[in-house]
Amino acid sequence: MATTSEQLPSLLTNDSKVPWYLEDLPKYLKGFGILTVIYISLRLYQGEFAVSTGLDSSEPAFETYWMRLFNIELVVITLFVTGMWGYLWVSRDRNLDKLAPREEIRRYFTLTMWISIYTFAVYWAGSYFAEQDNSWHQVAIRDTPFTANHIIEFYFNFPLYVILGGSAWLYARTRLPLYAKGISLPLTLAVFGPFMILVSVGFNEWGHTFWFREEFFAAPIHWGFVIGVWFALGVGGILLQGVTRLIELLDELEDNP
Amino acid sequence: MSANLKKQFFQPYTGEKARISRAYDYLILVLALFLFIGSFHLHFALTVGDWDFWIDWKDRQWWPLVTPLMGITFPAAVQMVMWEKFRLPLGATLCVAALSIGTWIARIFAYHYWNFFPINMVLPSTMLPSALVLDVILMLSNSLTVTAILGGSAFALLFYPSNWPIIGMFHEPVQYANGQLTVADLFGFQYIRTGMPEYLRIIERGTLRTYGQYATPLSAFCSALLCTLMYTLWWYIGKWFATVRYLTKI
Repeated sequence: MATTSEQLPSLLTNDSKVPWYLEDLPKYLKGFGILTVIYISLRLYQGEFAVSTGLDSSEPAFETYWMRLFNIELVVITLFVTGMWGYLWVSRDRNLDKLAPREEIRRYFTLTMWISIYTFAVYWAGSYFAEQDNSWHQVAIRDTPFTANHIIEFYFNFPLYVILGGSAWLYARTRLPLYAKGISLPLTLAVFGPFMILVSVGFNEWGHTFWFREEFFAAPIHWGFVIGVWFALGVGGILLQGVTRLIELLDELEDNP
Repeated sequence: MSANLKKQFFQPYTGEKARISRAYDYLILVLALFLFIGSFHLHFALTVGDWDFWIDWKDRQWWPLVTPLMGITFPAAVQMVMWEKFRLPLGATLCVAALSIGTWIARIFAYHYWNFFPINMVLPSTMLPSALVLDVILMLSNSLTVTAILGGSAFALLFYPSNWPIIGMFHEPVQYANGQLTVADLFGFQYIRTGMPEYLRIIERGTLRTYGQYATPLSAFCSALLCTLMYTLWWYIGKWFATVRYLTKI
């Protein structure tokens, strides 16, 4: 999902059956598939080991099954962010002023796919695993900030959607002329606002030092997460920016049957 | 405050351009679905939270007040973009349908299959009738003022009757340990929640019960008043977030 102007000649001879504007569709679908496998695998892991080894953080089994998973997640997240953001930056398009309308349209489609993958990760982090946190804390008395659900939700899901949102932002900034000339306010809000949800983990856990046994989801110590997620509404502005530019670009294309 | 329809006429796209346009629509649909499940559900879970999670929290005092009040937020913001910019009268229904999908998946797989709470104990409430009426009022009136007053009120007032068929049976009285409680209360006592001691269950506080059968309509009308204000506030929040500005630096 990171074509640059230098690679355009090879694209023109592409024999793919996918329309030119959906050239990155297979990568997009693979992205969905990989993320789905990862999230469902993590959920199955919880189902298999959370009750048997995840209830008491002082047990050796907790160290083996949960803190080891935590450490693996940190390594994976670090490698992924370095690789993905590094790749997007290093492979940036240095000839954006020469971009043809057709290629710019294709990149708007790819940007939309990036944002879509980002929102898919937001779904798992903000919807499924977030509510599951309440469910888990109603059957397990927390004795550590690294509970069987926090290890997946706070230290894998949250960083992962931040990385994917950052990737969408970097893709736009390095491959689309309007986003390279100016910094899109709605795209920045939609990426950096939910990033603050990750930061709010600190506020949440600090609050739970006073109130470690109880789990009341509407409590003010959770409102940092709430304010962060409001910024996802910036996607409305991204849509308006994209549609406005696409209309201009379509007007520059010839009418084809 | 009514929305202004600009008299602009567009020639519909044909051929390849029409296919490009349609493909973009489908991409946006997928994006929007996951966006609103993820974001609206997180907002909802951390503001309405336990009043929606548990059957024994669905009381006559707080639940009909808090749920519509927090539930009208994203619909108002999304209606602003969908109606003002695209003339699509489905912002509220889209948000609430997305929320329903997210909550149902979580209740089944996170509560029932992982931690064995009976599904009847964790039934999510519905705001679909409220959202449909809100969208219809905006479409017919094309007015923020009318939608805030009539739509916001309807959104709150329809909430309890819409949910009564779901929760009514759990309000049947039972005698238990020399006391009278509801089937919903009994769920709460039978299925121990380690994170929720009884002092945390915020239901029917104060002297509510002296109001008897009037407690629920009172809560609903209070919610209706607040929803008119909340709708307007969130319409403008949606408008602010739908900016198309480019900055020179951040």
